[in-house]
Amino acid sequence: MAGPEISERSARLGPLLAQVAMANQQAFAELYRQTSSHLYAVALRILRDHAAAEEILQEAYVSIWHHAGSYVAAKSQPFTWLTAIVRNRCFDHLRRKEIETVTLASDDDGGPQLDLADEGPSPTELLLAGADAQSVRDCVDALDAGPKQAIALAFFQGLSHAELAHHLREPLGTVKSWIRRGLERLKRCLDGVGYIR
Amino acid sequence: MNLSRPDRRERLDRLAAEYALGTLPRRPRARLARAARTESVVADVIREWESRLASLASALPGVNPPPRVWTRISERLGLAPVTPPATTGWWDRAAFWRGLAALATVAALALGVTLLSPRTAPTDQTLVAVLAGPDGKPALIASADRREAFLLVKAVGAAAVEPGRALELWMLPDGRAPRSLGVLTSAPVVRVPLAAPSGTALADIPALAVSLEPAGGSPTGAPTGPVLYSGRIERMF
Repeated sequence: MAGPEISERSARLGPLLAQVAMANQQAFAELYRQTSSHLYAVALRILRDHAAAEEILQEAYVSIWHHAGSYVAAKSQPFTWLTAIVRNRCFDHLRRKEIETVTLASDDDGGPQLDLADEGPSPTELLLAGADAQSVRDCVDALDAGPKQAIALAFFQGLSHAELAHHLREPLGTVKSWIRRGLERLKRCLDGVGYIR
Repeated sequence: MNLSRPDRRERLDRLAAEYALGTLPRRPRARLARAARTESVVADVIREWESRLASLASALPGVNPPPRVWTRISERLGLAPVTPPATTGWWDRAAFWRGLAALATVAALALGVTLLSPRTAPTDQTLVAVLAGPDGKPALIASADRREAFLLVKAVGAAAVEPGRALELWMLPDGRAPRSLGVLTSAPVVRVPLAAPSGTALADIPALAVSLEPAGGSPTGAPTGPVLYSGRIERMF
């Protein structure tokens, strides 16, 4: 999806969210209609579990209904704000479960079972396709292959450090430093081209 | 953990980045979320990272959630049962064209958004203005149904007003002097009566503003104190 569409979408969502903050039920229904398939896709990718994704989506919209006023007071783009609500709930959910799985998983027999097989494009492809301006695409493209893949998998599939290490067959320390250096580099590059939403 | 200290800034940035990416483990994640609630620097740095990364998320193909998700949300929130579109019949021209516009929007988004659920009329009869201070932070939201002769003004971040002072709401007609809409009380939502339905009363008013005045409002009929908040009127019809 191209950049202008995202900004257009944000431009429409802002006033809708303002109305939701005023407890306007029709605006809320319209917001749901315009955003739920994207937010559901976000949750589904990260959680890889329909029931859990539905649950998170429900909680997220209940929270959006109650807290739309705080969006208006925040400085985010509507699209960023909505996506962050869903992503953060997904990560809270995953990281809560992690305590149980991480202690059970041993190094040789695979760690947490991951089914990353997916009909759609790969996380790295999504990362590149999603970068919605040439300059952002350049920044993503400039990352080395390892960090790029690690960041894409973490971002779209919600993998933890340990899961990334397992999936990429790299030592945990390597993966951690890939992520760290990759993010630093992405920030320098994005801030350098003046990319501020 | 006082991450706001300047010498901790680099560490904060690293934590916020992995928070937004999702790789921060459970405990530091919870700690950072707690810190963000009390320290605005922490919240701001997280938001910056969420914005940077949000630009990467847009290529995800949409997936329609099952209709039960909306049913459960509206049950949990006790929303009124979804109403059918206000105008009846596909032959109604306005409704028909609105429907077409909605379809075009959906197609443009390429999200495959379901048009069946929730089944409501588009919110196409509304005026909204977000009134913000010079720092760009929204303070009040004014909204109105264009057919109703009142505005609802909700405080979302307006500073408290000291005793003996009041906030006064003004229409800002293009090229003419501001016209008062009245003094805002300190209620969370204030209903401001208009002389006519808002679609008419605010028809050629591009913006609203709020000034600080003596209690009871400006004695002169024009703003006397500083303009604290202002915002454009968005028309959604």
